[in-house]
Amino acid sequence: MDNSTQNNDEFELAREAVRQYGLRKRVEEVHREMMSELKTPVRTMTPSKKVLRYSMSVAAGIILLVGAYMIYNFFTLSPDKVYASRYQAFEISTVRSNSTEDAIVKAFREKNYPEVVRIHSSGADSSISATFLAAMSNLELSNLNEAILQLEEVVGKNRNLEHPVFRDEAEYYLALSYIKNRDYDLAIPILEKIKDDPIHIYQEKVDAKLIRKIKMLKWR
Amino acid sequence: MEVARNRADAELLESLRTGKNVDQAIRNLYKYHFDSLGWYVMNNNGSRQDAEDIFQDVVVTFIDLVQKNKFRGESSVKTFLFSLNRYAWLNELKRRGRALAREEKFERMQDRTTEDVSSVMAGRESSAGILQLVEQLGETCKKILLLFYYEEYSMKQILEHMHYENEQVVRNKKYKCIKQLEQMIEQNPTLKQTLKNLLHG
Repeated sequence: MDNSTQNNDEFELAREAVRQYGLRKRVEEVHREMMSELKTPVRTMTPSKKVLRYSMSVAAGIILLVGAYMIYNFFTLSPDKVYASRYQAFEISTVRSNSTEDAIVKAFREKNYPEVVRIHSSGADSSISATFLAAMSNLELSNLNEAILQLEEVVGKNRNLEHPVFRDEAEYYLALSYIKNRDYDLAIPILEKIKDDPIHIYQEKVDAKLIRKIKMLKWR
Repeated sequence: MEVARNRADAELLESLRTGKNVDQAIRNLYKYHFDSLGWYVMNNNGSRQDAEDIFQDVVVTFIDLVQKNKFRGESSVKTFLFSLNRYAWLNELKRRGRALAREEKFERMQDRTTEDVSSVMAGRESSAGILQLVEQLGETCKKILLLFYYEEYSMKQILEHMHYENEQVVRNKKYKCIKQLEQMIEQNPTLKQTLKNLLHG
């Protein structure tokens, strides 16, 4: 190696030393600045933060589940489902009896619903209780429109009576019939009346949840 | 041909190569990569201080490689930094005699998609000695050489900073300083080899 090449190599090494020194000092300066900025420990969490994060995750999960449940309910809700969940076949035990009523009551007790409807249609008995039993029979026979007309008649006739007959029952089943028939605007006032009436015999069966569901059905 | 994986990488590399906004580029390296790289060190028997020291070395090495066009861009900046960080930390653990079997196995499992950092890292371990060497030059020499060879100032600009009589005086002073440094390097074969590695490795 001649002198000039050797001198050049020495010079290059010296220059590299200066470059390395300058670079390291420059990084050192930013390093100090950034380390004070990034003071918080790298990805370490205090136990309280861990608990907080875990709690928030659980809460978020619950909110998500509740939300999903509500959305599921909203889209799977149907008038038939609501009707089926609240409908209970009417029991005859409280009906007073006389000779004419006995035939219709007997048929109803035996669940001979076509016979109940026939007796009522024949005009042999147009009493409120007979009309109510006919309406209940029509509901059992899925004659929804007939049942609604008869229940409306029972409710109407009871309006001016001092001693109403099947009034509470008729109101409840009429509301359910309206729901099944998708007449939500007609069903809601009746349900609200029942809910707000502490002596209504069906008050326990009508709650805010049921009314909310009907309102949801109306919005859909 | 270098392929920048994304715009952020491309901007970062551009800054480091051209020397424009270098400080901001270094800040961004810390901001976006210290967290995950530090996490690696701290989860492999390292302390917070270890994580900081190793990351500083990684940043110096990375910038040096970029400025010498030795970063080929076959992987993203993040992946490359992670490889440098891993290599540097495992070397440090070995140096301390604390390398765990798991870590050694990890080291052997070189990720084929990343650049092989061992070649570019070879001989860099003792670069800390360079700092001491340059410090020994004294404040004036250190300043003149840094301004000229690192900051790439002209003689005229150096004159404004150093308050010498004229440019020739600065030129003479710079010549003496670099000669002094050459002699100091000549007297330290280990350091000379390190510098050769850094320059040509």
